[in-house]
Order: sequence, then structure tokens, then C-alpha cells
Amino acid sequence: MNIGIFLQTVIGGIGIGSLYALIALGYSMVYRSMGLVNFAQGSIYMVGTYFGIIWYAGMVMGLHVPYPIALIIGISLNAMLGVLLERIFRPLAKLDLMFMLLGTIGLGFVLDNLFVIIFGAEGFAVTSPLPNAPLVVFGIRILPQMLLLIGVSALLMVSLQVFLKRTRSGKAMRASAMDNEIASAMGIPVHRMNAMTLAIGSGLAAAAGILAAPIVYVNPAMGSAIGLKGFAAAILGGLGSIPGAIAGGLVFGVLEAVSAGYVSSSYTRGIAFLVMVVVLMVKPSGIVGEVTVEKV
Amino acid sequence: MNRLGIAKVAALVVLGCVLLAFPFIAKDRYQVHVINTVGIYILISLGLNIAMGYAGQFNLAMGALWGVGAYTAAILNTRFGIPFWLNVPAAMVAAGIMGAIVGLPSFKVRSHYLAIVTIGLGEVINIIFVNEQRLTGGADGISRIQMPSFFGFPINTDERYYYLILAVVLIGFFIARQILKHRIGRSFRAIRDDYQAAKAMGINTAYYQILAFVISASYAGVAGALFAHLNTYISPDIFDFSSTLFILTATMVGGMGSLAGSIVGGLALPILQEYLRVIKNWQLVAYGIAIMVVVLFIPGGVMELMRRLRASRALRWLSAERRPEERFEPEETNVSGN
Repeated sequence: MNIGIFLQTVIGGIGIGSLYALIALGYSMVYRSMGLVNFAQGSIYMVGTYFGIIWYAGMVMGLHVPYPIALIIGISLNAMLGVLLERIFRPLAKLDLMFMLLGTIGLGFVLDNLFVIIFGAEGFAVTSPLPNAPLVVFGIRILPQMLLLIGVSALLMVSLQVFLKRTRSGKAMRASAMDNEIASAMGIPVHRMNAMTLAIGSGLAAAAGILAAPIVYVNPAMGSAIGLKGFAAAILGGLGSIPGAIAGGLVFGVLEAVSAGYVSSSYTRGIAFLVMVVVLMVKPSGIVGEVTVEKV
Repeated sequence: MNRLGIAKVAALVVLGCVLLAFPFIAKDRYQVHVINTVGIYILISLGLNIAMGYAGQFNLAMGALWGVGAYTAAILNTRFGIPFWLNVPAAMVAAGIMGAIVGLPSFKVRSHYLAIVTIGLGEVINIIFVNEQRLTGGADGISRIQMPSFFGFPINTDERYYYLILAVVLIGFFIARQILKHRIGRSFRAIRDDYQAAKAMGINTAYYQILAFVISASYAGVAGALFAHLNTYISPDIFDFSSTLFILTATMVGGMGSLAGSIVGGLALPILQEYLRVIKNWQLVAYGIAIMVVVLFIPGGVMELMRRLRASRALRWLSAERRPEERFEPEETNVSGN
């Protein structure tokens, strides 16, 4: 086995894995704070991608906004969408899993098809802001955009941890996620915290989408497959756990890349799901998840 | 027999006549085709309802299991020339076995986890359809599946096929009713409502969980065989996760945990889709909004709406017969498990 090609595969996997991780974070944070499984996350990712890329690709009044600014615009717009979504999710979070599942899927359906109406069903390719020629380091070829994706994702994940652990709002968010009744008794505005959680989750999804846009193809249906994989990643790491979402995303990405490179490229998607099923059977709480006691 | 009973019988007779005469009163062949598809959806929805609504087992691989039935029938027919009548039981058994495999994780995982595991296994099955080209024809699918014939009488039009589907749906409905009425049904509900208590009462939970998966998969399998022989062409993209979603939505709109809900949902959704075609691009948006409205305001679906209407005082006062306080039983809408 050629070690250089193996490393190249792994780095590619980490790149796609950080994409999954950012989306998985959205699932896990929202689940932790609202007890809601948000199956519209894939569509939110798609919406966020459009929110950023339309500025960069000159689809708004022919403006060609620089890539970093487009990234920030996309993240902010999607975060605002997240705040709006809190209003819709508030009643949903009180329902059974099945209704949540369907309600959020319905929402995703609405978003997907609204974007088909606005932008058309066929997608477009986005040119990378960085040079397209792969960098060669010790014989390993890496796309600069992939490095940017990995770097910015890592930065975002670290800042998220710092925000949650060190700042007042972050602590309030964690408190309200841990027990929203006690948190609200302590004067923490739980609904606002939930809105903030959704805003952060949506913002991260937008970041993932805009960073990956030059590598993947942008179209209104792009969210469904990645949304499912992001959820699988969140489950793999332990739903509700933030380090778990990151670990799950990276493991899922690397697994997918390695199995595509060494086992069978046509069975990639299947192998990743199979491994996830096996992990869940062996350790249902995921890689990082706490042990849950069955409530009688 | 009281007045209500007579009214009921009369309604059933009228319904029966409408069902039997439908191909003759339909506007065109396309309408009959839509209704044939409706019948197939109703069958899958019945299966999903048994697993999810009654036994509380998330079987979100239904689309793929439907595909297993369809591919079994298609391969047997095009490769070995085996006729429709043998393919249906074969598809049922094949899908049932696959359903048991899909259900195995239910020993270890439940709720969200079971949902994603079954979604994942469904995806795996679908990927097998795409990749095992020599067997399944790959992404191109299988074409030229023969339509059935009944003792030399060819069932080769939508109108003729309609009666076949009608018969299968009726049989499927009554079998489901019988299953759920007796021991199996009671065990299913016990497991759904309180897994631990059911276990403590000595119910063999593992057996019934797998049984729920096998039964639901068998319904999907029969529906698959019917679908393959009706359309004479199948391809893997028909059986992907979106088909599961469609069935799930139909069942939820009709009423999860109520067999009649499967019929109402299976009928309402495809027909709604046909009518929403008028508003073109907005139809899917309207469809999504409709799902959200149902989930948020009438989570038990149409069947719950009807129960509510029946239980409402105003209506009872209006009806000639004043019956004693009817007990409102919401237990059928609680389908989460625990």
C-alpha cells in the first residue's frame, strides 16, 4: 500500500468529514437544547450555501463580493433564518419523535422547493477563490480549497467550544440545554437560548456549505444526502454531544474516503452506513456519548 | 339491527358499488392508473402502520423493502419466466426475510437510533439495487416485465389490473385487522406503550419486534410485486428514501395507529398531488406546508380529526340519536413507544 496515497485519501476524508462535522454540530446542539431532531438541517445547509454563494458568484445585481465577505454574509443570513425557525420548532419540540421527524422534514421540503422555484432545479459550479492546482507536499496532493475547508472548520469548532465554555451566553446556553426549567427559574431566557442554538447550528451549516461549494456542485437538492450523512455522523458520535459530533463527522468522512479508495467506490455510501449500524449495535450511545439509563 | 346499523350497511353497499364500478365511471385511463398506484401505496402504508403505529417500531426502510419485492418479482419473471401468481408469494417471502434482517437492530437500539439505522439499511439495500448490475440491471433497472393473466384471461390494462389490486388491498386490510385484533396485536400495543412493562409481563418482545418488521416488510413485498407487474418497468430510484418519506407522510396524514388511516392517507396524498399540479412549481411547497399543518395541529391525522368531530358535543346534539357520553380514547394516537 502506498503510504502517500493513503495519507492523501485520509486528508480528503478529513475535509469532507469536517463538512459532516459542522452539520452534525447543528443536529447535536439543537437536540441537546430543544430535544428536537431537526431533519431540515440538510435543507438549512443548502439554503446557507445559496445565501453566501449568490453574493460571491455575482447572482445579486451582478455584484462579485470577495469570498471571505460572502462567507460572513451567508453565515449571518442563515443564523437569522435559524432565529426564525425557533418559532416554528417551539411547538414541534413538544411532540413525539415521529411528528418532529415529519414536521421538520416538511419544513425541509418547503425550503428545498422554494429554492427550486427561485433558482431553478439545475445547479451550477462555483470557482474556487484559491488556485485550482493541487499543492504538493511530500508527494501528497491536496486541493487548496480542501485545506481552507479543514482550517476554517477547525477554527469554527474551537471558537464554538471557547464560546460555550468561557462566555456568559455560552454558559447560559449550556445551562438551558441541561435543564430548561431550572434554567428559566434562574432567569435564563430559554427560548432566546434555543434561538441562539439554532442560529449557531444554521450558521455552521452555512459555513460548511459555502466552504465546500467550490468542491461540490451547488443545487437545491444538495442538502438531502449530506443532511442524512450529517445526522448519521451526529449519531455515530453520540447525539447531543458536541465533541461527539466533531469526532463522528471526521470518522464518517475518513471512513467514507478510505472505503471508496480501497474497498469499492460504488459501495462507499453503503459501507459508511453499515459501519454506523455496527457501531450503534455495539455501543448505542455513540463514540463519545454518555451511557443512558433506560427509564421505566 | 338499529337504525345506525342499517345506515352503516347502506353506506358499505354504496361504497362497494362505487369500488366495483370505478373503472367504468372514471374519466379516463389515467385516473384508473392513479387509483392503481393508490392501492399499492395503501398496501405499503398498512405495513408501515402495523410496524410503527401499532408496534412502535420505526421501520424507515419501507421504500427499499418495497423495492425488494419489486425486484424479486421482476427478476423471477424476466429471467425465469415465472408467472405473476408465484411471484407475489415469492416477493412477500423475500421482503419478509429482508425485513427480519432490517429489524435485527431493534434488539439493541430504539427511537431515533432505530430510525436512522433502518434508514441506513434501506440506503444499503438501494445501493445494492444500483450496483449489482448483473442481477438488477443497475441504474437502468429492469424492463419488459410481463403483466399477469388469469387462466388465460390477460390482465393487461389498468382497468383489469384495478380489480386485482382492489382484491389484494381488501385481503391485506382484513388480514391486518385480524392480526391486530388478537394476541399479536395486543402484544404489539403492549410493546409500543411500555416496552419494559411488556417484557416484565412475559411478552417475548424480541419475537414480536421482529414479527412487526416481517409483517410490514411482507406488505411492502406484495406491493412491490404488484407494482413491478403493473408498470412492467422498475428502476432503483423509485425505491429510495423519498418513497419511504412519501409513505410515512401518507400514513401520518391519514392517521398513524389506525388502519383506516392508511386507506385515507394512501388515497388523499396522491390525489392531492394530482390536483396540486395546477399550481405547478408551488405544488411541492404547498405539500410541505400541508404536512407541517397536519403535524402541528392534528398530529393524529384525518382519523383523529374524525374522532374529534364525533366526540364534539355540537355534533352529537345535532344527531337525532343522543347516545350516552362517548368515551374519547386518545390511546391510538400515542405512538411514540415510551
